[in-house]
Amino acid sequence: MTLSVLNVRLGIGTLLLGAVTVAGGGLAAYRFLTGIGAVSNLNQGYPWGFWIGFDVLAGIALAAGGFVVAGLMHMFGGGKYHALVRPTILTAFLGYLLFIGALLVDLGRPWTIWHMMIYWHHESPMFEVGWCVMMYTTILFMEFLPVVFERFRLEHLYGIWRNVTPWVAIALLTLFAFAMTHSLIWVLAIGGVLAGFELLVRFGFIYRDPRMPTLLLMAGIMFSVLHQSSLGSLYLMVPHKLNYIWYSPILPLSFLVSAVAAGVAMVIVESTWSAWYFGRENEIALLRDVGHVLCWAIFGTLALRGSDLVIRGVGTELLVLTPQSMAFWIEVLVGFIIPLAILLTPEFADSARWLLVSSIMVIIGLLINRMNVAVVGITSTYGATYYPHWMEVAITAGIVAGGLLAYVVICSNFPVFPSAHERRAHA
Amino acid sequence: MAIKALLLDLPRCTGCRGCQVACKQQYKRGAEKTTFFGGPGYQNPADLSPQTWCLVTYNEVVVNGRYEWVFGKRQCMHCQVPGCASACPVKALEKLDNGPVTYHKEKCIGCRYCMLACPFVVPRFEYETWNPYITKCTMCASRIAVGDIPACAKACPTGAITFGNREVMIREAQQRIAGNPKKYIHHIYGLDEAGGTCVLHISSVRFEELGYILRVPRSPMVAHTEPAMKTIPMVMLGLATVLGASYALRTRKQRNNQQAGGAGSQS
Repeated sequence: MTLSVLNVRLGIGTLLLGAVTVAGGGLAAYRFLTGIGAVSNLNQGYPWGFWIGFDVLAGIALAAGGFVVAGLMHMFGGGKYHALVRPTILTAFLGYLLFIGALLVDLGRPWTIWHMMIYWHHESPMFEVGWCVMMYTTILFMEFLPVVFERFRLEHLYGIWRNVTPWVAIALLTLFAFAMTHSLIWVLAIGGVLAGFELLVRFGFIYRDPRMPTLLLMAGIMFSVLHQSSLGSLYLMVPHKLNYIWYSPILPLSFLVSAVAAGVAMVIVESTWSAWYFGRENEIALLRDVGHVLCWAIFGTLALRGSDLVIRGVGTELLVLTPQSMAFWIEVLVGFIIPLAILLTPEFADSARWLLVSSIMVIIGLLINRMNVAVVGITSTYGATYYPHWMEVAITAGIVAGGLLAYVVICSNFPVFPSAHERRAHA
Repeated sequence: MAIKALLLDLPRCTGCRGCQVACKQQYKRGAEKTTFFGGPGYQNPADLSPQTWCLVTYNEVVVNGRYEWVFGKRQCMHCQVPGCASACPVKALEKLDNGPVTYHKEKCIGCRYCMLACPFVVPRFEYETWNPYITKCTMCASRIAVGDIPACAKACPTGAITFGNREVMIREAQQRIAGNPKKYIHHIYGLDEAGGTCVLHISSVRFEELGYILRVPRSPMVAHTEPAMKTIPMVMLGLATVLGASYALRTRKQRNNQQAGGAGSQS
């Protein structure tokens, strides 16, 4: 007795996800009637907590990181990685929509979020974050459209899309450059390079990719890089509150690099999971390559973080038993050292299972890192303390569960995976 | 326009809390239910809140071998280059030319980044309502605009709060310290903190004993984010060039095939 809705089997898993989504939605509705104080432990000393750490900092890194990786592989790795691109675009697009949903819960007056478009303040890292969200979500939407065109056989629209989207991407990037600098020279320089590239493509001097306009991928990568690093820039503003284990002038860079490492891990987790769920062959040869990249990405992040700590002279603080130093060591062990050890052991590196284990550890390590920056490392004054309220966690769980459901529904109905389309769950 | 400032001469304060009441009256802030608390000071309420923008703190300090009450004051410091205003994505917080840092509630989106950015932990958020705003001391910008002085300064009966041009207030503070070097410690809180503020405190005991926050950078808060924000266009230009150029190089062969298969004119 397999019941299914929208081509999705109604198993224990999907029903559970549905229940968590509904519960989270109900609590979110309660929050909009009574205020943030009623559902969270956020207070005057800790204005940012679990929602910012988990939903925003970690969520964005996990959503978009995968796409950056897949986009780069698509641009430079030839056709063989094409199978990985669409699922990561979908993850990123859904992730961003979910993140916007989570942000609406966290913002005090979410119905005024459009103020960012009219009151410009380019000095503020938060302004950059907000603009990156708007721009990148638009780019992701455009990148996802071919899946819809293919599904409904809209060849004509596909053609228009191929011709128009590069120019839209150029327009968005140029507008972004203007909003961030207010300088005509920068706008002309950046817009000029991009438009020049597109014209060269049009006149046949550069290869024109028939599947996806290269400029759209470039725009995605550029906005992603800016967005990941700007989340780190947010915390440059708090040298007085963030523990110096984490506070560093290179926070934007270490946010970007760790997001790339977690992004590689996300590619592995996603394709392993979807292979299992849709009963496809696991692309193990492909994943082994990705595992190599993951190894280097972890190593790079570790090297950056380590040299940063050495150069800033943080040493003894790491050996004193404080909640912060312990959180740091957990982060480093789970996120870097153990997965690196697994990937460097030849017996483990070739096994799909251990590849998955180390990827999950890298992702958990990133979650711990972002929570450390957002909550554990923040010291407030006047005796303020913060511990997430269960309703905060429940609302986030609802949002994540909703996202997983949407992912399954879309994967079951649209040609996201090259081979999944014909083998989708039976009605 | 001359920059205005408040000079708080803490040894002159008798802890009458006239300023606290005057502030509440001026801005129609309600009373709040308070409880015992275990934090710095014995004041009531315990800390600034959406209802309390100006607070006299009561501190038990050992002076000359015996316990004495020494009073401090918490309120917005009105930084010269305010972190809150640098942080705000929609310019809801604004530094006026004559000193005050004011809040435009109609612009605010409620992101609370100003609260995180403020080195003095001043902005307060209304957590208990569906339509919340940030609240904080305005240095009575509207009173200053019509030639009056801030309500707290007007209410103070002992001259502990003086209002005037910032340079004059700094000179006054230096003279008071120099004129009575045994009474005052040699530190004007707010002269250099966070790049300088428009509320200056002088004290007879060390500021940490009054619960003041001393882990404040000497540079304006924006100095820490500016380098990162300045690199945005460079990153954009660099990425556009590098990605575009390396893609073009990487796909040379495919282009040649494409042209051979297509028009076949160039190679």
